[in-house]
Amino acid sequence: MTEEKKPEERKKRRTATEAAAKIGPMVKASIGGTVQAREEGKPIAYAFIVCGYDEIIRAMDIVPVWTENYAGVCGAKRDAQRFLERAEAENFSRSLCTYALCGLGFDAWREELGEMPPDAPWGGQARPDMMLGSGQILCDPRNKWYQAAQHYMPDVPIYDVGMPWPLYENDYDYREVQDYYVKYIVDELKGLVKFLEKHTGKKMDWERLSELVDLSDRTWNLIWEAYELRKAVPTPMGTGDAMNTMVPMVFMMGTQEAYDYYKDLYDELKRKIANKEGVIPDEKYRLIWGGGLPSWFALSDFNYFNSKGAVFPVETTYRMIEAIYNFDIDLSKITDPLEHIAWRWIKFWTYWHDKARKRHGSHPDVEQLIKYIEDYKIDGIVMHEAFSCRSWHPGLIWKLNLLKKVYRDIPSLVLESDIVDISSYNEADTRARIDAFIDTLEAVKG
Amino acid sequence: MPEKAVVKGLAEADRYYQDYGLRARELKKQGQKVIGYLCAFVPAELITAVGMVPFRIKGDVNEPITKADTEMETIICPLVRSCFDMALKGNYEFLDGLVVPHACDSICRTYDIWKYSLNLPYAHFINMPHGTGGPSLDFYKEVLKTFRTSLSGFAGKEISDKALAEAIKLHNQNRAKVKELYELRKSSPPLISGEELTKVLIAAMSLPVAESIEMLGDVIAEVKGRGAPSAQKQARIMVIGAQVDDVAFIKLIEDSGAWVVADDLCPGAREFFSSVDVTADPIAGLAERYLRKIKCGRTYREMEGNYQEYLEDRFGHMRRMIDDFGVDGVVLYIYKYCDPYGFEVPQIKSYIEAKGTPVLYLEDEYSMSTIGRLRTRIQAFLEMLAK
Amino acid sequence: MQYFAGVDIGSTMTKVVIMNDSVLASVIGPTGPEHRKLANRVMEEALKKAKLPFEDITYVVATGYGRINVPFADKQITEISCHARGVAYLLPEARTVIDIGGQDSKGIKLKDGRAVDFVMNDKCAAGTGRFLEVAAEELGVKLEDMGKLSLKAKNAVRISNTCTVFAAHEVITKLSEGAALPDIIAGLHEAIATRVHGMLRRLKIEREVAMTGGGAKNIGLVRALEAKLGFAVLVPPEPLLTGAIGAALLGRDMVKEAEAKGIKLEKAERRLQEATLFT
Repeated sequence: MTEEKKPEERKKRRTATEAAAKIGPMVKASIGGTVQAREEGKPIAYAFIVCGYDEIIRAMDIVPVWTENYAGVCGAKRDAQRFLERAEAENFSRSLCTYALCGLGFDAWREELGEMPPDAPWGGQARPDMMLGSGQILCDPRNKWYQAAQHYMPDVPIYDVGMPWPLYENDYDYREVQDYYVKYIVDELKGLVKFLEKHTGKKMDWERLSELVDLSDRTWNLIWEAYELRKAVPTPMGTGDAMNTMVPMVFMMGTQEAYDYYKDLYDELKRKIANKEGVIPDEKYRLIWGGGLPSWFALSDFNYFNSKGAVFPVETTYRMIEAIYNFDIDLSKITDPLEHIAWRWIKFWTYWHDKARKRHGSHPDVEQLIKYIEDYKIDGIVMHEAFSCRSWHPGLIWKLNLLKKVYRDIPSLVLESDIVDISSYNEADTRARIDAFIDTLEAVKG
Repeated sequence: MPEKAVVKGLAEADRYYQDYGLRARELKKQGQKVIGYLCAFVPAELITAVGMVPFRIKGDVNEPITKADTEMETIICPLVRSCFDMALKGNYEFLDGLVVPHACDSICRTYDIWKYSLNLPYAHFINMPHGTGGPSLDFYKEVLKTFRTSLSGFAGKEISDKALAEAIKLHNQNRAKVKELYELRKSSPPLISGEELTKVLIAAMSLPVAESIEMLGDVIAEVKGRGAPSAQKQARIMVIGAQVDDVAFIKLIEDSGAWVVADDLCPGAREFFSSVDVTADPIAGLAERYLRKIKCGRTYREMEGNYQEYLEDRFGHMRRMIDDFGVDGVVLYIYKYCDPYGFEVPQIKSYIEAKGTPVLYLEDEYSMSTIGRLRTRIQAFLEMLAK
Repeated sequence: MQYFAGVDIGSTMTKVVIMNDSVLASVIGPTGPEHRKLANRVMEEALKKAKLPFEDITYVVATGYGRINVPFADKQITEISCHARGVAYLLPEARTVIDIGGQDSKGIKLKDGRAVDFVMNDKCAAGTGRFLEVAAEELGVKLEDMGKLSLKAKNAVRISNTCTVFAAHEVITKLSEGAALPDIIAGLHEAIATRVHGMLRRLKIEREVAMTGGGAKNIGLVRALEAKLGFAVLVPPEPLLTGAIGAALLGRDMVKEAEAKGIKLEKAERRLQEATLFT
């Protein structure tokens, strides 16, 4: 994803695995594919990741344009500024999600020109036939972004699928409410299917959908098993790679291609472990990326960590799966695909609740950190505060404090920047912080 | 038993505005339980029905945010941060509980921070859905039932349908009083200034609903009785925004030579103009009002009809208010880091301008340290409206 | 014969004009921290130049950042309205105004000679004269030479930091890496032009575009903005006076309107405090 060089000389980012290296061309092909699909008149939908509708889209042969991905690509290529500026010229505040600003700026420009903006990264973002939003805990842009985009594309309809999940509360357990959550999600997904049938003129093939849901279950299990391999010392793969390998997980879920990709990744990691091949030969510090989306234009910072002997065997960001067989219900018994998706959704988002109940004053997010810290033999934790994202980034400070309170004091580093807006990033400052953190780790270890 | 305030009407409102939480502290001393809430999407009727005092948490535009930064990221809506800062600084020590709705990211994604930091005896998150379709309404009814059960558990007593219906009646009366007060803004000049009205609404959000009704009644009588103000002003302004919990901004507009006669704000018309229908199951009426009747940027209204009709559904009430209240210009006042309204600015602005009313869009930081910059912009806008 | 005065107290410069149908006298001086004293002094100087006693001035309008500190002003009007009016007089073909001052920048949309929409940046130094001031200091170059130097650039250096403080650091780094001084300075002008143009686009830019304020006197900045716009901009002969001229003319407009309607306008006392009182 960062193979392109900009006028300033920049070192090519290195990935530890071949699997990660494959991703750049895959994404480029996929984006090009959407532009081609537009030309061929195939149905195209703007879509968000982690909304539970991947299999439904695939089952109906709808071509998704993952708008967050496109913004990430613009960010990684360091060509997002002109789109952010266009959004600002439209009176969108620069404090809003920069994925959305990038996308809205792009759409405004494309609609004004009647064609792609000049030199649009990797061919540009294809105009959609429909937009699929989502109302959930995760983030407001999933409701508001496409609604705002309708200002430039008033003819494009939106379906907003409600996908809530229960928070961790002291006055009730999630199992007391899960039934009505599942019912709501199923109703919303039914509504989505009706919407898609209406706008494509095609009927849902329910058998095919069941197959794809089963395929994604197996893919979930495979990803979990592959990522668990990273517990090895030395670790064969770090978060820098994971920011690539997450692509099939969130952009291609429900496809054979995704399943095959993770099979290859699993095999590659197994090989590396057999040969004791780590991300770096002299692994000194094992870190967890404990929260925050990465700066897409600064993924090479992971190489910088590597150069100091630090690796990231595990991260919580984009780990959007769990092993299905670890759930406390037998999901295979739920044969209706929409119910299956709904139960999988609820069980995923409440996965760490039970653990939190067992430790006084704890919280599911902290339990996840603790489990990874112990399983992956972690020495320190790094968080990233991206200023424009109010979904993943509130609570990182609090989480760190709580972790230290209920578990143990552990060296921590908080980086500050953004996902896409490079003007918020200062390389020298970031590296200085990393250096200071490495010193702390050294002091604690020594 | 301590005496209730003998000050009435506008003076009473001023008293509760200047010392926010005064009445709640008195009631706490008398043994009542006070439940704090963020955002008008919390159905306070349930809190009233269980016999506790609903108390809306507010920030302080004049107080620099300091303590909050140790636990809450600065990328959160500044109003929410200020509220949290006030809580950490002890302004809300009298709270027995905290109820937070799924309003927006800044509120929803910081709920855990509030809960763990304040460590109150009771905390509950109302997972209000974003959509307004049938399944969303059904889901929301279940969510409210969960809240009702939870609150009953905390109170140690059931909330009967009868008690809930009574509370709904009271809160509807409260809303009707506010609407009546707004009617007094229609005249030229308005009988009550924006500054006075804002003070009254903010005072009201700190009082038990029955006392709020009484105060509002006194204010209406007082304002009707005193006659029209003598000040000559050039323009009638409507303020549209997410939340304004201080008079400073309203006063700034009025000191610059205009009347603030209308709004789509919270507290304000958006919060008070719609009432709860009387339904056999009171939960149904509550769900309908909060999810569908209130038109706030946090709610994703399902699109029916074409795009123009959609805009009418979302913003038509603003146009009607402009007509009903004789508004000359609109100030769109949005805080930085506000997601629900930040995304809507181009659409709201273009909708209102298309109908012929000028719009000044201001992005602000909540704190009144920016007042000099705001003053120039507002003055320039008023100069443009003149002639 | 009626005379009108416009007093524009900016954050860096204070400007006064006295005019009837044309400008009779004008004074420009640095503002400094004591607006009130300065306003008196500059007004005195202008009156001396025009050879007029203060009582002969029919109407005085104050504008700019320090407009509330002009006790002898009959009216205060924002610089947005005043710049609009000034440009309408000086460059009647203009429909959009860009004003880049020492500490703020504005865009104004004109219709029938009046401001109908505006955008402002007065909280971030990048996009204002201050950006150049800070950079000039870092580079050891005189501020007034920055414009000319930028025109000598072969390849403008791209400054990626939008924050003034970080950009100043970046500039030093680029210099130590061997970038040519004119190229860096051109890059700085481009950075300001980008910010200002970005802000301006919220107004839907319409030709002709006029530039006013101190920024308009910087040929490098003017060229950088023209490059962004894709066409030439108009600059009045003395860009710093646009606001004061507009203020005086708005005063004249008000007086004429009042006379037509038979209304008496409120005026301040025609008295200047002795500037020498405070030392």
